[in-house]
Amino acid sequence: MVSQNTGKAQQVKSCCCSHEAAISVKGLTHRYGKRTIYENLNFSVPKGRVVALLGKNGVGKTTLIKILMGFLKPVGGRCEVLGEQSHLLSAATRARIGLLFEGHLAYEFMTISQIEKFYAPFYPKWRREIFYDLVDRLGLPHSHVIGNMSCGQRSQVVLGLIFAQDPELMILDDYSMGLDPGYRHLFLDFLRDFLAEGNKTVFVTSHVIQDMEKLVDDVIFLQRGGELIQMPLSCFSSNFRCFEIKNVAGVQFQKDNVIRNVDLVGQSPKLFSFGDREQVRAHMAHLYPNVAIGEQIDMSLEDAFIGLTGKY
Amino acid sequence: MLQALFLKEWIKVRKVWFLILALNLAALLYLYLGMRHQFHNEHSEMIWYWSFELRRILYGDVKYLAVLSGGAIAAAQFLPEMVNNRFRLSFHLPVRADIQVWSWVGIGAALGAVIAFIIAIGLFCIVTLWFPFEAGVSAVLTAAPWLLAGWVAYFSVALVMLEPQPVKRVAYALLGCAFLGLLYNERGYQEYDQILPVLIAAAMLFPASVIYPAYRYRHRS
Repeated sequence: MVSQNTGKAQQVKSCCCSHEAAISVKGLTHRYGKRTIYENLNFSVPKGRVVALLGKNGVGKTTLIKILMGFLKPVGGRCEVLGEQSHLLSAATRARIGLLFEGHLAYEFMTISQIEKFYAPFYPKWRREIFYDLVDRLGLPHSHVIGNMSCGQRSQVVLGLIFAQDPELMILDDYSMGLDPGYRHLFLDFLRDFLAEGNKTVFVTSHVIQDMEKLVDDVIFLQRGGELIQMPLSCFSSNFRCFEIKNVAGVQFQKDNVIRNVDLVGQSPKLFSFGDREQVRAHMAHLYPNVAIGEQIDMSLEDAFIGLTGKY
Repeated sequence: MLQALFLKEWIKVRKVWFLILALNLAALLYLYLGMRHQFHNEHSEMIWYWSFELRRILYGDVKYLAVLSGGAIAAAQFLPEMVNNRFRLSFHLPVRADIQVWSWVGIGAALGAVIAFIIAIGLFCIVTLWFPFEAGVSAVLTAAPWLLAGWVAYFSVALVMLEPQPVKRVAYALLGCAFLGLLYNERGYQEYDQILPVLIAAAMLFPASVIYPAYRYRHRS
């Protein structure tokens, strides 16, 4: 499924089967004062999938998660999480959702053992062994106060709490914030083991795009103003292309359905498109006849992300 | 679950609570030593004259103990939750928000009530060491608005810290200060006997009011 949501206009091209949705967002509109964050945003996170919400700083990723968890009431639209309206989530449904807040928020006044004892009674499927499996790797006594931990150590405790809940749906808001590569990889290893148990849905935001390549099934690109593109990662990797372009001096490029972005910063100008070489060549010949299309350039997911969203 | 909620509140507040307890006991000891000193250095008739003719309150040292205790307990409970919006952690727990909020203020108010009870008992015992039983009762009735101020201070600080909207925070702070001002207008003993039931009834509205800031926090728009 390739879904593109550009404000009020929306086009959907189907390229894989649809699933029951763990998260469903329909016509979501939100504003901070006069600043519009989204206008008529639509997407869904199918059950059993790992979906990454990617976007530059300030596009509204954390705002979206706040809305999904009922901490913000949107101006318009409808958001459902596990079949319930996001601002009316029942306690029973919240027990099925593991939520990581940005910055690995935790009760810093508690010790490791106190926080485990505190959380355990709330979750019927609590898995104490998972919590201590993750936390004992830190080599800290269980009487260690969370507020005295480094950001990486605290993240282990927080992630241990989320894994121990054995949630159906994990919502991870920037799990990589403040983590060194070792802790990031440890988290990803645990997450993969967790996902291997099946019937788990993950909705994740991160700025470390390279981590997403081996983790996620689908990507959602959120851009300023609420433009949204959703597709399977494999679809994005194979269909989003980068071409060298030449003779660009003085040309004012306009983005359209074929030209998704043009990067003129740096020594070799590049053009990014979902079209293949022939489509791009024909489109450019029509609009910018002096511009020559060069070789297609291989991209990592991070390159492609920057190609789609721009450097600034 | 309630046990877990109480555990969290106790972990947050216990150090401050024991400190408050120590301060209150120290203040009562100071009151005891001061009163003993007066009876050693003055004639009993003179102290009787001060107390019952001039209506001078001899136990003014405990006047602000409860209000400071109430405010400190609320700050110890809610400040760690305010930092980085940690209230969100609590409100994501699979338990009804109203039950949570009432359990928070329930344990805070109970811990404050223990302090208020200690002040009242301590005051009664100290006064009745030198004065008749009736004077002990009178001292407790005179101190009752000050003890009620502890309750008002606790809930006012709780409301200010729970409230997400700055304008409403200011309004709660002003309301709390105004209420506290009403409780410290005495010029002698037992001057609040008539009005105290009304003030207590008004103060009892505070526990219900904490739900609204919590709701606004949970469902901000």
